[in-house]
Amino acid sequence: MKGPGEGVAPGRFVLGAVLVCVPLVLALCGPWFAGAPGPRAASFTLGDGHLLGTDFVGRDVGRQVLLGGRPVVVVAVTATALAYLVALPVGLIGALTHRRWLEDALMRPLDVLLAVPSLLMILLVATVFSPGPAGLALLVALVNVPDAARIVRAAAADVAARPAVEALRMQGESWWRVAVGHVGRSILRPLAADAGVRLTGVLYLVATAAFLGIGVAPDAADWAVMVDRNRTGLFVQPWAVVVPALLIVALTMGCNLLCDAALTRTRVPVHADVRGVGTRMEERRP
Amino acid sequence: MSGLGSWAARRLLLGGAQTAAVVLLVFALTEALPGDAAVALAGDQPDPARIAAVREAMELDRPAHERLADWAGGLLHADFGTSLVSGRPVGAYLSDAFGPTLLLASLTVVLLVPAGVGLGVLAARFEGRPVDRLVSAVTLGVYAVPEFALGVLLVTVFALRLGWLPPTAVGYGTDLLGHPAALVLPVLVLLSRPVCSLCRLVRASMIDALASPYVAQARRYGVAGARVRYAHALPNAVAPAAQQLARTVDWLLCGVIVVEALFVIPGLGTVLMNAVAERDVPVVQGLAVVFGVVTVVLNLGADLVAHRFAPRAEVAA
Repeated sequence: MKGPGEGVAPGRFVLGAVLVCVPLVLALCGPWFAGAPGPRAASFTLGDGHLLGTDFVGRDVGRQVLLGGRPVVVVAVTATALAYLVALPVGLIGALTHRRWLEDALMRPLDVLLAVPSLLMILLVATVFSPGPAGLALLVALVNVPDAARIVRAAAADVAARPAVEALRMQGESWWRVAVGHVGRSILRPLAADAGVRLTGVLYLVATAAFLGIGVAPDAADWAVMVDRNRTGLFVQPWAVVVPALLIVALTMGCNLLCDAALTRTRVPVHADVRGVGTRMEERRP
Repeated sequence: MSGLGSWAARRLLLGGAQTAAVVLLVFALTEALPGDAAVALAGDQPDPARIAAVREAMELDRPAHERLADWAGGLLHADFGTSLVSGRPVGAYLSDAFGPTLLLASLTVVLLVPAGVGLGVLAARFEGRPVDRLVSAVTLGVYAVPEFALGVLLVTVFALRLGWLPPTAVGYGTDLLGHPAALVLPVLVLLSRPVCSLCRLVRASMIDALASPYVAQARRYGVAGARVRYAHALPNAVAPAAQQLARTVDWLLCGVIVVEALFVIPGLGTVLMNAVAERDVPVVQGLAVVFGVVTVVLNLGADLVAHRFAPRAEVAA
């Protein structure tokens, strides 16, 4: 099967990089330029020294935009890292163990968990715990663990079946050296591909949860929260909604285009499970 | 044939385990509450009467396994318990809000198939040409965009700037069919992600199918191009897409919650979000069980159907 968009990668690479750069730079560097909060003005006004007007409680929208990207990006990156922190050992042990019961004990519960829709899981927990940003990162990581562990296991099982691993075993190398030294290193590239796709999916989930008011304060400086809270003033002051919405669109769109282009460009020997970038995140096989 | 039978049996077993897991997980919620569940759920009004009422309604004095047995037994006869906030049965919430959500979901699925397959075939037919590049890039980009951001931008353009469509469904109640204009934007937003994924899948397998020996052979016989594409290549390309269609139910659910919040549609998603905000645990549990079981059953059905028609397709079980 031909990879999606083969031969068109350069243009897409540039487009993705440009799209992702604007929101990413704004998210990471914005808070340094935000300055001190000015006095509150009237809600949903335009002009009067405010470049993008004011929001639902009269804060300067420009300043909120500068501040609001960091939580989205930081929570998403943390959640992705946390998911792999759990998925890597589970998947590696599942692929390398010769004890069938151990593999079943590790992987079968994950198959069962895959059945629960991710947003539903997050909403369920949010009902009883009202998580903060750290809790949201933990939750999003949790719902990503089953899928990530399956990918790690599939990639590692591929490598573990190679003669080189058999040879290492017969030389009497320790389990640790085989698992981490050889197999772990060999699956780095397919995992990098998966991590990019997963980050896109996590960004989607984090932003959607924040829009629904989970893991954020009701007046938090967060692009998704801004879209939600300023919707009431859409007809008076559209900038307070349109600017953060556009930034989220650029961030997620660019991230996916960039991952896809990088994947086709470096021609990663992708495992069947990792292929089909656009459909990966929710394409789950229970 | 015994291979197929045992595969189906294992897949059914997994489906059963998943259903049981959903029920257990949802029930475990109240057990996971820190400290006294009744105090935690009483929330903003922690007066003793309210706490006692919550304790009474949820029968928190009884041991957990008895409550689980009662609750799971009730689920079998569609008895989901009663709301903590209003005292109404949860089943009534479900049946009230069912209509709009079903309407949104079925409209989306009906439009999704022709749109996704059509775009996929179009892109595959002009592989590598500008049309294909455009379709591929747009579907790849839009796929990752959260529904709320896309929806808000569409509202700004079509309702605010152009004034063609109503910005929300406020005031139409559950009678959405009577106001088709109010449905256009919500369905468009719901379609955005599934169409992209279906289109990409159909495109990839269609390119595969068009490059296969049997298509070359059909061409050598002089079979017309359209007939080769639609009668020979497409059916083979659609088998993997059928499974993807069932997977989309997962995110149709995600999408429905967001779209109902965005366009103020009184469906199941709105009921769920209200219940989450009010910590109305029985309502959340009832809805979660319905959503979870629907997802499990649809995935199970899709896997069984796909396995029946294309046994080559690897379906893990």
